[in-house]
Formats: sequence, C-alpha cells, structure tokens
Amino acid sequence: MNQEKLKTFIRLLQKCQKQPSRTFDLGLVIKESKSQINEEEVFNQIKKIVPIEKVIYDQSLLDEDVIEKMIEAFKKGKWIFLEIKKDIRSPLLNQLKHLANHNILQLIDYQGKDIFGMKMSESSRVIVFAERNFIETKISYPHFYRLFGPTLSLK
Amino acid sequence: MNPEKIRDKSPEELKEEKIEAKIKERGPEREILGGIVFEEEKLIEPETKEEETKRYIYIGNPYEERPIITKLETDASEEEIEVIKKEIIPMRESFEILEAIARTYKHRQPLLIEGPTAIGKTYLADKFTELLYGKGVKPLDFYCSGQTDVSELMAKWVPKVETEEEKRKWQEFLESAEAQREILKIGQEVEQKEKLSQEQKLALIHTKLQELAKSAGLAERTQWRFQYGAVPKAMELTRNPDGSFSFDEQKGMGFILHIEEIGLAEPQVINALLKLRGERGRLAEEIQLWENGGKKIKSGPKFWVVFSTNPPEEYLARNEVDPALARAVVFKRMGDLSEESLNLATDYYFTYKLEKKPEKKPEGCILDIYNHPEIGREVSKVVSAFHNDLNKELKKGEKGRQQRIPLTLDDMARVADGLIDEQIRNEETGQLDLTESLKELIYLHYLDRLADEDLKKTMKANLNELLEGDTGKIKFEGELLTRKEIFDILVERVSTTEEERKKKEEIKLRQAEFNVQDAIGSLLKDEKISESIKKLLRE
Repeated sequence: MNQEKLKTFIRLLQKCQKQPSRTFDLGLVIKESKSQINEEEVFNQIKKIVPIEKVIYDQSLLDEDVIEKMIEAFKKGKWIFLEIKKDIRSPLLNQLKHLANHNILQLIDYQGKDIFGMKMSESSRVIVFAERNFIETKISYPHFYRLFGPTLSLK
Repeated sequence: MNPEKIRDKSPEELKEEKIEAKIKERGPEREILGGIVFEEEKLIEPETKEEETKRYIYIGNPYEERPIITKLETDASEEEIEVIKKEIIPMRESFEILEAIARTYKHRQPLLIEGPTAIGKTYLADKFTELLYGKGVKPLDFYCSGQTDVSELMAKWVPKVETEEEKRKWQEFLESAEAQREILKIGQEVEQKEKLSQEQKLALIHTKLQELAKSAGLAERTQWRFQYGAVPKAMELTRNPDGSFSFDEQKGMGFILHIEEIGLAEPQVINALLKLRGERGRLAEEIQLWENGGKKIKSGPKFWVVFSTNPPEEYLARNEVDPALARAVVFKRMGDLSEESLNLATDYYFTYKLEKKPEKKPEGCILDIYNHPEIGREVSKVVSAFHNDLNKELKKGEKGRQQRIPLTLDDMARVADGLIDEQIRNEETGQLDLTESLKELIYLHYLDRLADEDLKKTMKANLNELLEGDTGKIKFEGELLTRKEIFDILVERVSTTEEERKKKEEIKLRQAEFNVQDAIGSLLKDEKISESIKKLLRE
C-alpha cells in the first residue's frame, strides 16, 4: 500500500474544511477489483495514525446499531472505519448525508428526545470502506460517491 | 416636471422605497450587497399597552428591477443576519431560490426545487432556516432514496424487544415484503372501519399487530411503541429558546421540513406525502394517519415543507417528479449555474471572502495568498474554466463507471482551502510556485477521482495548456501572457518587500547601464563608424 497516499488521505480528512459551512469531509477507501490489499491491513495502518474504531455493516448489524456505535465513537473523539457489506438502508443513509452535509447526526425520537442532534466531534471523522465492484453493483443509492470528499483507491 | 404629476408619498410607500433600495444595494464595484435586509419595529401591544420590539427580515432578488420583497418575522439578531448574509454567494440563482423559498413559506405553500447539483438547493434551505431562527439552526432534513419507507416519514409501531436476537429477528421480519404487505393490509382495514372510535381503532391495530407477531414466530405478547415520522414531527415541533425541540400533538408551532432527493422516492412514499396537499395550493391544515387510529395531527403555523431533487434527464435513477406531487407544490425548476455565477462563486472562494482569514501564517504556507485578492482573482479564472470544461465532460458520463459524479462548488472550495497551506516552493526563486501548487491540488480534487483514464489524460493536458500554453494566454497589463507568467509576476510582486524591490530595480538599472557602456565600447572599436559619430557617442 502506498503509505504516502494514505498519509495524504488522512491529512486531508483531518485538515480540509469546506467553505463556508466549515464542515469536514467523509473519506472513502475503495478496493479495486485486482487489489491484493485487504481491509484489515488498511484499518491497521490508519489505526497507527489516528484513534479509530471499525464497524462492519453487514446482515448481522442493524442501521440503529451502526448509528449507536458512531455516537459512542464521536463521544470519545474517535474516527469510524465503516466497512460496507450490504446495500445502505435509508436510516443509515440519512445519517451519512447529515454527516456529509453538516457533520451532525439528526435523529427523530432518540434517547428520549423528540429531535436528537449531535455534532460530530472536532477530532472525529468517518471513513467508509467498500469494494469498487460492490459499489457499482450493490449500492442502490445513485450518488454514493458524492457523499465523500477525499477518496483513496487501493490498486 | 409637470407639477400635476407630483404627489405626496405615504409613509408606507416611503418605507417600501427605503427597503427596496436596501435590497438592491450594490458596492463600489457593482457587487451585490442587498438581497436580505434586517429591520426592527417597535409595536405597542394592544392589550398590555407595552412597547415590544419585533425583528423582521426582508428578502428580495436584488438582480430584479422591481423585486418582490417578502417580510418575515425572525428570531435571529442583526449580527447573526449579517454573518449568514456573508455566507451566501450573491449569485443570481441563489436569490432566485431564496426569493421562491421566502414567498412560498409566507403563504404556507409547499415548494419543490428541481435543479442540478451545486445550484444551492440544500444550502439555501439551510440558510433560510438560519435567517428565521438564528445562526446554526438547521431544518429537519429527510433524505429520500429508493429504500425510503413510508413509516419513516409518517409513523410506525416499534416492537419493544428484550434481547439482541429478538431485535434482529424482528428487524428482518419487518423488512420483508410479506411484513410490508401485512402492515399495509392492517392500515387499509383500519381505515375502512369508519364507525369505530379512535380507541377502538387503536385496539384493533394492537390485535392485528399481535397476530402478525404470532404468524412471524415471534412473541405474541410483544409490547408496541408508537413513533411519529418526520412529517408529523415537523408539523407539531416547537423550537424552544434553549435550542431544543419539543413535540406537542395539538399546540406545536411547526418547523421547516426539507425532504431531499424526492426524485428517488418510490410511488408509495409520494402517495403518503400527498396527504400534505391542502386547500388553494397550501399545505394541509391537518393530516390523519391510520397508524394512530386516525387521530388528526394539526399543522402548526410555522410548519413548512420544501422538496428538492435533481433533474431526471441528467441523473441516473431519478424519476420524473410525480404529476400529482407536482400539482400539489409550487414547482421551481432551475437550470445550471450561469458562467457569470460560476465565475462569481470561484472568485468568492479564491479571494477568501467567505471565511475568517488565518491570523498567522499556517504551517505549509509560503505566501499568505488569502490576503492577496488580486492573485486569487487570477487563480479563480483558471479554476472556473477548468471546472466548467470537466463538468461538461462528466455530464456525458464516464467510461468504467455507472454512477455519475457531477462536480459541485465544494470541489473548488477544497482547492481554495488547500491552496492556503499546501504550497510548493519554486527552487530557483525560493518563492511560491503557484502554478505547480494549483496543479497538484487540481489533480487531487478533480482528476484523481476519474475512473476514465483517457479523460484524465485529456484533462491533464488541457490544464497544462490552460496554464502554460499559447491557447491559455490572456492580456495582462497590456501584454499577452500565459497564466503561469501572470502568476509568477503577481507572486513576485507580493513576495518582495519595497526595499528588496528597490534593490532589484537598482541591480537591473546597473545591468542596463553596463550593457549600454558595453555596446558603446564595441561601437567605438568599430572601424566602419565615422569619427564624428564616435565623438557623439563619447559625449
């Protein structure tokens, strides 16, 4: 794996804020079809640079569970490495959009509040990991790529 | 002037003229300063006879000769309005959208904005909410996709489960087509029982839900919790002075609901949203949901809905806006940003008008480019041209990728942000190499995303030509120069102090003198030149 590219990717996520809303970007790591690099390796490399927690979004995990894990990570100022292994359902997609646009989570009837709003910690970020083929064939949301700023392609 | 035509203007008319002048206000370079005006009014409360100060904003399109101005009450302070105003790039399209939002909000008419990415639909709905409620207040946002369920927007019954395993089992069941069908059937059955009271309907719903649980092999005695979705919540939500929200089914004030990407929603979602259709093109005063036994939900006075979507002809998987929905809303269709607006936006980003400038030079910054708008303006011309060209190509679709990724203003915002502290030094001069710095940022934010290798190569070559080639040359201070040459001149100018510049001028002058003397020396040695001329040269 190209260490320089990974470092630039992390640096951009840490530093770049979009004008004028001053929001941080979400990052996307794409594993290209011929790549030999696995997600564990990428995760471990990132873990050496920033405090990060891994969440695998697959059949065993509900959207609500992922959102809860995000809230916990944000409370601790940690990053989230979200590996996508099933099509993104509406509740999670809504929160990813909230994060991408405003760096907030906005939930209805959550934790005893009519509207639960939580700002992503200044030191937290979200990195989504997915395989190129999976994005192109399994993700039904047509503007998936647009959720993200910096994109790291693993070749 | 014909004296018969002179008439006294009423105080209202004079005030209107004053507001209109402020809306149309322009700066010394004809830049838009108006569009949004804050005013305070002192009113006497009829009952208590106490004086009360109310805050208002006026919104109008400053590009119009006779703008239609909308007056709205606001919770925001004058300082907040000024900050919010500065965050809006005064493009013609921004004010067109803002004007439509303000006018439809005032008349409680739902609005649908159909327009391409980057036109500012989301951003301006956010800014409008801030203009009404204060800095940092966001509307209730709901993003549609092909997977959006009606229950997320309207209401649902959620089973109370004890264990993780039960939770998962339920979720799987509720997501199944069979469960969706059954729940729909329950709804239809309850709606048909018109003679039943609300309590009886609720009891029927409970029985049916228990039966559903049993048929799915789940605990029959499952407890259920009722949960409203985004629409009823927004109808009866009140924003409290501490910034929190509270929901009251009967007395809530209502809030702004932005339903985004409505073009992706399935027909059943659209059908549910049609409940919001009220009389005379307004929002419904109340809606009824079978899920709560048909209890009416009142629409608070500040409830308002704005829908947004991308045009179907340009974006994959977008449906045409449903005709019934299109009839139920004020439909505002926007085209692409004009070249003039795109240039204005780029100018704003690269002259750093939208953000607070760093107090001290950040690490990685060779030249404080954010303090030199004359350089930013030249950079913006290059980025704007490149952005435009690439966007045209991307709209045609990309080889090797199904999903289209149209460019947004965020892309240029990222380049502008990077240009502050990701600067490359020119090894020869020791100063900022603006051309190389800009190239690197454009590669990263515009070109590295491309899946189409051929397009990437072409765009790279185009960028080089634009910066350093003959076709990219423009007139600068009377000379035809490449952008790189212009960048170098501008960087040189601001990088050197007055003293250094004088020294350099002196060196140049001395060099010139030396060259002249050298030339005269050669001429004096030339035997072909007559003595009379040599004499003149010596003098």
